[in-house]
Amino acid sequence: MDIGTVMNTMRDPAGIPAPVELFRILMIATWVFHIAFVVLALGAASLAIYAFWRREQSPYWTGISIAMTKVAKVSVSLLIVLGVAPLLFTQVIYDPQWYASNVLSARWAIAFIFTLIVAYCLWFAFYYGNKEVAKRHIGFYAVIALLLFLLDGLIMHVLSYQAILPGQWMGWYAPNGELDMSGAHLHAMQWPRYLFIISLSAPAVGFYLIAYDDYLKRRRDQNPDYLAFARRLGQRIAQYGLIVSLALFVWWQFDNPASTGLVWLPGGWAVAAALAVLLFEVTYFRDRLHGYLFLAGGMVMLLLLAIWREVIRVAYLAPFGYSVVDEKVNADWPSLALFFLTVAGIGGLVGGFYLTLLYRAGRVEGVYQADRTMSAMGTGAIVILGIWTGVFFLYGIAIWASNALTY
Amino acid sequence: MLGMYPTFYVPYIGSAWVMGIIGVIHVVASHTSVGASFLFAALETKAYRDDEPQIMVFIKRYGVFLLVFSYIIGSITGPGIWYAITVASPRGVSGLIHNFVWVWAAEWVFFTVEVIGVYALVYLIGKVDKLTHLKLTWSFALASWATMLLIVGILSFMMWPGSENWYQTGSTNDAFYNINFFAHLGVRTGSMFVMAAVVGFLVAAGIKDPDLKRSVVRIIAPIGLLGGFFSVMMFFYYLRTLPDNATVLLNSYLVPQYGKAMIFVFLATTAYLLFVWWKPQWLKLGIAVPMFLVISVLGVWPEERMRETMRKPYVAGQYIYSNQVLARDVPGKGIEGEVDKIAEKGLLQLHPFIPEQLRTITPENKLQVGEVLAKVACANCHALEPGAPLRNIPDKFHGATDEDLIAAFIGGPLKHGAIPYMPRIDLPQPEVDAIAAYIASVNQNRPKAAGDEEAGTPTALLEKKDN
Repeated sequence: MDIGTVMNTMRDPAGIPAPVELFRILMIATWVFHIAFVVLALGAASLAIYAFWRREQSPYWTGISIAMTKVAKVSVSLLIVLGVAPLLFTQVIYDPQWYASNVLSARWAIAFIFTLIVAYCLWFAFYYGNKEVAKRHIGFYAVIALLLFLLDGLIMHVLSYQAILPGQWMGWYAPNGELDMSGAHLHAMQWPRYLFIISLSAPAVGFYLIAYDDYLKRRRDQNPDYLAFARRLGQRIAQYGLIVSLALFVWWQFDNPASTGLVWLPGGWAVAAALAVLLFEVTYFRDRLHGYLFLAGGMVMLLLLAIWREVIRVAYLAPFGYSVVDEKVNADWPSLALFFLTVAGIGGLVGGFYLTLLYRAGRVEGVYQADRTMSAMGTGAIVILGIWTGVFFLYGIAIWASNALTY
Repeated sequence: MLGMYPTFYVPYIGSAWVMGIIGVIHVVASHTSVGASFLFAALETKAYRDDEPQIMVFIKRYGVFLLVFSYIIGSITGPGIWYAITVASPRGVSGLIHNFVWVWAAEWVFFTVEVIGVYALVYLIGKVDKLTHLKLTWSFALASWATMLLIVGILSFMMWPGSENWYQTGSTNDAFYNINFFAHLGVRTGSMFVMAAVVGFLVAAGIKDPDLKRSVVRIIAPIGLLGGFFSVMMFFYYLRTLPDNATVLLNSYLVPQYGKAMIFVFLATTAYLLFVWWKPQWLKLGIAVPMFLVISVLGVWPEERMRETMRKPYVAGQYIYSNQVLARDVPGKGIEGEVDKIAEKGLLQLHPFIPEQLRTITPENKLQVGEVLAKVACANCHALEPGAPLRNIPDKFHGATDEDLIAAFIGGPLKHGAIPYMPRIDLPQPEVDAIAAYIASVNQNRPKAAGDEEAGTPTALLEKKDN
């Protein structure tokens, strides 16, 4: 059977509840935040381990190791939760590709869950042991955890890559005509793509260290020499990391089949240009630019990358006659309103309250005393949650009751 | 052609059990997390009002424990269930996502806020003023519960919409606020307090200060008891909101199988909470750990298995069968049922992932085709290996080796959808014969055991109560 026709038939017959471009934008935008914490987690974890083994040379390495262990710990939590949204939106518009790819490597999709649990538990074990005085063997927990994180990244890469190779699905599912329903194999990898994204962990942690210095230097209980050490270290890591990333990106560009026409499309080279600009800035303006600007620049580069990934997906699938713009739309405005109002009210006010509180509390010595703004945000967070819950029930009871009458 | 996917087959336990195992871990972790958030709010309110800062020591301990227990295991197994159902029932999860994407996205907003919130709650104890922290804790509790409010609507739709409205309108409102929703929400809301209390006792067992231990336990225990009582009451209401197919399964198989265990868990949990309330100092890890394991394994596993099983033969909204076939039309979404198309043309012609040489049945490939068809049409609920724990088909036919007898069942009750908890599987006769030949051959080649000589009858599936 023609796989293009098959894919179009595999689309969910329910259609999608809003215009496809909206899902596309959300898929791209939410992936940026997810991947930012992926590369930060990997970079922080790698540096935490490296610094752990160098801690006898300088107390600064001890400080770096402990700090980066915490950064990796929180980043993994955030990458998981932030990964849910792009996964969700991908399944709305690229459902045939994502599901087929997952089923074809089903055991790995399941293994991803358990290896991630093991890796994260090991990282917590490392975190609890990584104090001023620490036993050396806990470093091995961290190494195993990092290797498992990298494996999980590889699994996700494979699932994404297999999804855009529908021409090979049947060959993987039934090699030589013999069905293989075990889902036991990872069928396709594009090493430059995987290595490139992993390599971004170096500039990510480098930029983080520069911002770390800028964030903490107003606190009098922080050692300025230690912060300067962290900044210099961050600059070096970002500089060398960006060179490696740039090289890997060029390799990835030329690894795409010529038939896709991707090699010379400007979108890809925009990512390369963003990397080059970041490299220029961290080389020549490292002490003049605020750390937050580097982080913002990194996010812009990730946004370009996210758009480029979508261009790649479109280019790989177009020859099969598959395009998301052909999706059937069954608009559902009430649930759309639920989402956007929740983003604004809960994400904005409650999330804003938490983040602002964390940010401000971390910048003062001793106990942070909320000012009027923070106090109002705290009260507002509870009020908005109360309103949200009240509307949820009142609205729901009305619909439930009208449906119950027809039961 | 049908929009079917390749099949993932897990011998013996089936992909359903893989999903079940991940699901149970997630339910324990996530319910604990939501329940604990309210315990924190209650405890911190007392600490603030009565100026008992030592209570915050307990909250910090429990919070750190929760970070590992719920926010590692819980937050990974949440998407984990998604991955599991993706590979087990791709069309099932797709159907849910295409109906509920905005609800899930709204839940994600709460989930993100919740994860940031738990770090803020734990690490800002003693680092921000008390009133601000109290606001943080209450908002965290409400946000945590909202994740439950949103997911329960989707889970209860999986059971059924409860009225014809959704099929006609296709509206997410009608799907979400289904007949089953509030009852289901009540069960989970009550049980989250029980889980939070039981896990809270794990943490409280390690407290050295006897006054703090008593103070904390005497707040947690009654909340757990009230939650448990509420959950049981809502469970009885929940039973009244189930569809007929679920009631048949419940009465025929599930209550006989799980009923005693559930009553035992209920009594044991009540006794445990009462005892600890009465004698807080007797709470030790040697008691708290085994009780946690008993309640989470013997309590949650049957409950989740029952809920999963009662949905049969559907996987979502009574319009997608477990075997991924669309069971009926849903005019509100422009969805057309597929059962009659399969009856007319057969799975071999319509399924896109059948190798070309198997699309036509020959004497040489008949057994192979039969195996493929059995895996595609049956393996979501049944193992194909004799003796396997997941309702294995060879045993369901009592070891029958008579192809005609097996074919008579497939071409009779199954073809006409006469068994309420099984999908209507109406296949062309050559495909029926191929499946029958395959099952008969499996039984022919099975290791002989006492009693196997007696072949089963076509009604064995209806009679044998070992689901």
